[in-house]
Amino acid sequence: MKKIIIIKYAELSTKKANINFFLKALKNNIDNALTCNHIISYDRGRMFISVSEENIDKTIDVLLHTFGIHEIVIGFIDEDRTFEVIANNVLDLIKTQEFKTFKVETKRSDKEYPMDSMEVSKKLGSVILNNKECRVDVHNPEVIIHIEIRKDAILYYTNGIHGLGGYPVGTLGKGLLMLSGGIDSPVAGYLTIKRGVKLSALYFESPPHTSEAAKDKVIKLARVLAKYNPNMTLYAINFTKIQEAILRNIPYEYLITIMRRMMYRIAEKIANSENSKIIVNGESIGQVASQTLTSMSVINSVVNMPVIRPVACFDKLEIIDIAKKIGTFDISTLPYEDCCTVFVPEHPVINPELNKCIEYEKLIPYEELIDEAIKSKQVIKIKEEEKIFEDIL
Amino acid sequence: MIYLDYSATTPVSYEVFDTISKVTKEFVGNANSINALGRKSASLLESATKQIADILGINTSEITYTSGATEANNMALIGVAMKYHKKGKHIITSKLEHPSIYAICDYLKSIGFSIDYVNNDSEGLIDFDDLKNKIREDTILVSICAVNSETGVRQPLKMIRQIIKKENARTLLHSDMTQAIGKVPVNFHDVDLASMSAHKIFGPKGIGFLYKSSMVSIAPILYGSGKSNELKPGTPPLPLIAALSKALRLALNDLEKKERFVNLLNEKIVNNLSKYPNILINKTKYSIPHILNISIMDVMPEVMINALDKYEVYLSTNTACSSGEVSHSIMAIYDDLKRAKHTLRISLSYVTTTDEINKFLNIFSEVYDSLKIVK
Repeated sequence: MKKIIIIKYAELSTKKANINFFLKALKNNIDNALTCNHIISYDRGRMFISVSEENIDKTIDVLLHTFGIHEIVIGFIDEDRTFEVIANNVLDLIKTQEFKTFKVETKRSDKEYPMDSMEVSKKLGSVILNNKECRVDVHNPEVIIHIEIRKDAILYYTNGIHGLGGYPVGTLGKGLLMLSGGIDSPVAGYLTIKRGVKLSALYFESPPHTSEAAKDKVIKLARVLAKYNPNMTLYAINFTKIQEAILRNIPYEYLITIMRRMMYRIAEKIANSENSKIIVNGESIGQVASQTLTSMSVINSVVNMPVIRPVACFDKLEIIDIAKKIGTFDISTLPYEDCCTVFVPEHPVINPELNKCIEYEKLIPYEELIDEAIKSKQVIKIKEEEKIFEDIL
Repeated sequence: MIYLDYSATTPVSYEVFDTISKVTKEFVGNANSINALGRKSASLLESATKQIADILGINTSEITYTSGATEANNMALIGVAMKYHKKGKHIITSKLEHPSIYAICDYLKSIGFSIDYVNNDSEGLIDFDDLKNKIREDTILVSICAVNSETGVRQPLKMIRQIIKKENARTLLHSDMTQAIGKVPVNFHDVDLASMSAHKIFGPKGIGFLYKSSMVSIAPILYGSGKSNELKPGTPPLPLIAALSKALRLALNDLEKKERFVNLLNEKIVNNLSKYPNILINKTKYSIPHILNISIMDVMPEVMINALDKYEVYLSTNTACSSGEVSHSIMAIYDDLKRAKHTLRISLSYVTTTDEINKFLNIFSEVYDSLKIVK
């Protein structure tokens, strides 16, 4: 009996004509993420992955970070199709599992097999009952033991592990995430990646007002996202000159509004330069002054590109739940200032006026400053969990 | 030299020594400083902690570095007691613990906590029925070591946890895992709190950690500054921490193969010593092979140790931490005072060689025969 990993697809079953495009993308994504030797084959129903025994845990971990998967199952495959062998294999399979109720479900794609599916299920059911303290429940079993009789072999599997769902990354095009060091933007990124969007990220730094540690924190956040969104690019924009110009020239209450408008402008330019179709950020309605509906509208008006705000309608606690689940929460809560928190007016405007913004912005040569900032952007290729200090540890 | 006292402590391996020296020289910044040198140190601290967390399947925030297992035991037991004393003042431990657990329990008793000692069966295993009966509404903590340091008896922590949680879901389980880690597989998810020490796994002395599940909160017993951990303030000892991380990684490489090899050595000694009618082998079916306890009924164990010293053969009476006393553990398992007064502990490691064991057995037989005659 040889172990094999079986993947059941997520939402892809709603795709008809172009399902092959999605499956191919899923296969490629898994191919690229697996560092060990592996063989992948698939049909419209499932994908099969063969790896050597010692690489199974590693492979499952990769699959648990891959979108487009509904369920991951470890199955067994055996070329011996005699009933005695099947019975023994099934007993082997359930040996370590704890359950009180079960059912056997047999599929027979090889119609020439001497027993029909019902007969196989029934006989295996009684073998299990004779060897384990449990009972059959055909309606609501704790465990379903699946047997598939194929021409070349028998496939066995029981309950699987839930995958992440969503679409394979890249199938829906590209987007640019405005990634701060906070809790919300990594979650927004995660949710967008889940819908099949390949993300790059954009970070604004303001040295020396913001520290290297703050940037390291963002790189760490990007690294978490890169587990789901491999080969991520992070653009770091030096925002100091723009921020200082705003501080010097613009009324304090409009500081955040104008700053966000500048950031949006830069985001759109970078998105266009790398063929991203959307800007993604972690704004949540009402959370802070720049996230009131009026603020959002005044800020949004500087760009023509769709701005996706996946957590716009989530409560903070709901966002925190996801952040904890994906492992960004502990990083986000490290105490470093970022661009948006380093200068905060005591009473920021809640209902900014667009006309005023336009007037105020005339006070600074922002187009020039923006071009300069983009020109000097730092492009960081995020690799998943770099092995640092390997020589020491 | 034939060193057979690996459960008391181990030498520092070359690889680990290399790490200590490199980190001492090259990472001078305080990991709590925000300057570039501090960040470099913080970055190593983080990688070292992450490596430990990944190896053990836990989160980095669940690790608190301590000076060793004794400090971790103090943090765990006193920390739980101080946090939950309003919910209950009852603590249960076993009769097979490291002396530090008893010392902490004595202290807690002196300030108003009540301590119960759960019985074990003749194989050294915790008596599940007794445990069940002793758990009360006000039991805040059970502390049971993963592997007993004198007899090597290994406890089924998962099952113990199930029993505890069934009786009182709020009761926490702490386990001193010092003698288990690096010798046999352990699962931190079987417990709420756990202690370990690096010097039992070819790491340096002076470093260990407390595992505290993120679902559990305890009161700190130390106060100070430093942002790295809420339970242990102060400057993290980076060379020791990096060394611990490396030692743990090396210890858990090929763990099962190493265990199988040590088992062969253990059996060799047992087979040989079984021929002496006055030597009793204190080994049960739950003993791990790394710790082999015997009672030499016709020679005082200290005399035996002194005599073996001359041949540069090193072993212990019971444990290094309670040398010269009656063995609690042997008493608890065999209920035989003489047997408990006459124990010798031979502790093995995967670096022990078959040749060393052969030599040891020859020297042992010579020494033992000569001492018997004296008597």
